[in-house]
Amino acid sequence: MNSEQILPVSHRDLAARRGASPWRMLARFRRYRRACMSFAIFLGIWQLGTTGKSWLGHPIPILCQAPSPGAVLAAWGQLVLEPAYWQSWYLSFTRVALGFLAAASVGIPFGLMIAISPLFRGMIFPVFELLRPIPPLAWVPASIIFWPTQELSIDFVIFLGAFYTIVINVVGGAANIDARLIQAARSMGGSRWNIFRRLVLPGVIPSICVGLETGIGITWEVVVAAEMISGGGAGGSGGASGGLGFFIWNSYIGGSYPDIVVGMISIGIAGYLSSAAMRFAASKATPWLRER
Amino acid sequence: MSAALNPARRGALTIDNAVKIYDPEGARVLAVDHCSLHIPAGEICMIVGPSGCGKTTLLNAIAGFHDLDEGSIHLDGRMLCGPGRPKAEVGPDRIVVFQNGALFPWKTNLDNVAFGPMVQKRLSRAAARDKARQLMAEAGLSGYENSYPGEISSGLRRRVEIVRALMNDPTILLLDEPYRALDALTKSVMHEALLETYYRTGITIFFITHDLEEAIFLGHRVVIMTSRPCRPKLIMDVDIPHPRDYTVLTSKRFRELVHATEAAVHEEALKSFALGEKEG
Amino acid sequence: MSDTALSIREIIAHSAPFDHLPDAVLDRLAAEAEEISVAAGEAVYESGTASDDIYVLREGMVRLEPSGPASAGASSRDIRPSDAFGWTALSSSAARRERAVATMPSRLLLISGTRFIAISESVRAAQTKQEVDVPAAPLATLLPETDTFRRQQNVSDSLDIFAFRVAQWFKSPKPYLLLLGYALFLGSWYLAVQVWKLPRFAQMPGLTDVVQEWTSRNPVYGVSIFTPVYYEHIFVSLRRIAVAFTCATLIGVPVGLFLGWSKTFKDYVFPLFELLRPIPPLAWVPLAIVMLPGSELPVLYLTFLASFFATALNTMLGVRSIDPTYFQAANCLGASRAQVFWHVVVPGSMPFIFTGLQISMGVAWFSLVAAEMVSGQFGLGYLINTSYTTVQYPTMVIAMLTLGIVGYASSALVRLAGNWLMSWRTRQLALDGAR
Repeated sequence: MNSEQILPVSHRDLAARRGASPWRMLARFRRYRRACMSFAIFLGIWQLGTTGKSWLGHPIPILCQAPSPGAVLAAWGQLVLEPAYWQSWYLSFTRVALGFLAAASVGIPFGLMIAISPLFRGMIFPVFELLRPIPPLAWVPASIIFWPTQELSIDFVIFLGAFYTIVINVVGGAANIDARLIQAARSMGGSRWNIFRRLVLPGVIPSICVGLETGIGITWEVVVAAEMISGGGAGGSGGASGGLGFFIWNSYIGGSYPDIVVGMISIGIAGYLSSAAMRFAASKATPWLRER
Repeated sequence: MSAALNPARRGALTIDNAVKIYDPEGARVLAVDHCSLHIPAGEICMIVGPSGCGKTTLLNAIAGFHDLDEGSIHLDGRMLCGPGRPKAEVGPDRIVVFQNGALFPWKTNLDNVAFGPMVQKRLSRAAARDKARQLMAEAGLSGYENSYPGEISSGLRRRVEIVRALMNDPTILLLDEPYRALDALTKSVMHEALLETYYRTGITIFFITHDLEEAIFLGHRVVIMTSRPCRPKLIMDVDIPHPRDYTVLTSKRFRELVHATEAAVHEEALKSFALGEKEG
Repeated sequence: MSDTALSIREIIAHSAPFDHLPDAVLDRLAAEAEEISVAAGEAVYESGTASDDIYVLREGMVRLEPSGPASAGASSRDIRPSDAFGWTALSSSAARRERAVATMPSRLLLISGTRFIAISESVRAAQTKQEVDVPAAPLATLLPETDTFRRQQNVSDSLDIFAFRVAQWFKSPKPYLLLLGYALFLGSWYLAVQVWKLPRFAQMPGLTDVVQEWTSRNPVYGVSIFTPVYYEHIFVSLRRIAVAFTCATLIGVPVGLFLGWSKTFKDYVFPLFELLRPIPPLAWVPLAIVMLPGSELPVLYLTFLASFFATALNTMLGVRSIDPTYFQAANCLGASRAQVFWHVVVPGSMPFIFTGLQISMGVAWFSLVAAEMVSGQFGLGYLINTSYTTVQYPTMVIAMLTLGIVGYASSALVRLAGNWLMSWRTRQLALDGAR
């Protein structure tokens, strides 16, 4: 029984016209047009700023040092053909994936333990909260000292970055589970294990998903920085074999400024793709949260 | 009774053939279907209907939150919306009291009540607060001026919200299921408080509810709406004399009136349930 | 319990509002109640005075005379023995609206309102803990669920309750678990490096080395709490954070507010915003060094950038989170667009803004450290890097721990500022926890 059947006859023609109203399409078009306009202005200022010397006679203070959009595009066109560029992508992605997976597989149980066991929480949480404000990047030198290979030291720092976020989100999510639901379950005779499996776990999954989404963004931050610091600091192997962060740093050292911008944009795209993938996975895991 | 209190006879509302079509994601849904209604000045008019039938849409059209596709609405002879002007202007002559309460949680109760005249620049801040204090005392709410809405019970919050509305001397008060979320005991206190306010001011009231007994207890007239799309199905005058108190609830006449209307309400409720409509 | 206390308890147990309290609360109240005597004609309290105490009449007679502007039409009433009075003022910390005067020589019991709340709370908390073995949301005020017992907190009460909570905390297992946890952590560090000398940990500085270095007057590597250079580094980092965070807040909050409030602004600016946001601020390092003059500006710019995006985004989410009915209500009441902005949008998004500011503070430290490690002079990040390259490992750990402390303190500061500005929300959350 749909709404058409309950309409009086005189309105059937009105209801028959399904599909998007012209007003809505107009609004969408206006949004796109405005977005394009702001992009155009942005590119225009960029272009003008970098090549200002030839337009206005003297260079514009800050922007003149940056490479122009044209140069960036040209550099990118060349780089896509080089396998070393794509190898950087691959390296960074694998680092992100490994570090993130490790952080998730350790962080989620860790967070759940803190949420469930007051004993564990009383002992471990204060230490955790002491170490958390120390930025992961501050651990880079310590990590290099400790781990045998440079790769592991970078992975450890990446792990730390995502680990804190995931744990905090898991703990927060568990704390938000309505105590009354748990009481109801217990009054219906639920054992502790059952309550955990059927109540706490599903209740925490949305927060875990939020934690994972945020975590992956932070992971990219840390990857880029760690690659730059460790690669640029203690002498990494030459060329573009150190991941995208290392690629940027190397381009800076080598003086090819347009490559810097290419690297930046590449990382931006990579980060966005990872977050989108995470969001997609999250929506599959929590179908009950999808809006009706 | 109401004529003496409302000498200016303000608040006569006329809804004429109103039609409203919602268009969420292209599925054109008819919410209000050629609805016509006249409410004389100073009357408490109760609109009863199942959830999602479109009565809130009607109220929103009067208040100016939505537009009308066809038809017109006049207030005291002045056109609020109609051909050529599909959407009424939102204004303090028609103030809405919302279902879930809309007292600003970040302002104290006093500042909430004083908000209207202050932003309309009719009174200075100090003068508005003084008047608010006075009105709150009249309504029996003194002592709660400096609390925040989040600290007082929901019944009290409703009363503060009504005082906030009355501060602006509105022509008509639009109440959108204001007591829906209250428990039965608080509700009965609220009803008496509302009637007391009405007896003091004589203001025209347009009250939407899904509770038939509440409607018959409070109103001069009860309009029973069909399920979506809504239009008046049955209009009944409640001839129990004002002033009323809770003893009315057990009187013979009250029971007769309930008996006369509950079949109609129940029929519409069943229709609405079968359609499985989302809560309106 | 002594005889007097027992008889006091009997009296209290029969007077409203105490008559339906649990026994545990009554026992404690009785033990703490104070007895006072009043002569005939003497006032127990005057109208207009501050109200914290609850009185129970043991013998004699007290009359309550309303006075003051809000009492027009109200009449006096007499209090009989074993009735309680003076407790309605607990519901709001407004001044007393009545004058209480003894009409014959009377004996009264005085109970402090603050203590009453504190006792109810602790008893209720203890009971709840036994029932439910899950992480409990903070149950702040657990007074009997009558309207008159909703209460405003003012400073003296919160200090009192704070002191009470501290005492309770010491009686719970929490501080001992905390010590145990730290002992395990520090102990394993100590054991791994200095006792067992595990191969992995060979080059790590030991716990005692770090502590010794940190607290010595003449540190081997020149950095300890007694050296001025330590504080110079801290100060430089803090100053950079302060500048960058303030700029990011001053620019980010308005941008976020407009992004949430004005569709036009959002259509133009948001696409650009979302284009630049995925680029990690640290990827800007080389470009910033190239473009911006000097060594200080790139560091400030990077910190600012990270902070700005977090603040602006959270502010925007805050505006979008405001219930639309508040906008409708404001419009109904006659507010213009600008007034809606100031009275609804800004206060309504405050909770999200402050959450965003806390996140932003954390992100700022994150970027600052990285920026300092790569370029710039002075600062804690720089200290970590140089102590690493010059193999001064204890200093490195000192710098890391200092970062943790300072970072935590700055986030806590933001959170406290938020709680202070939004007292309406902390009270509401506390009461929500009690329902």
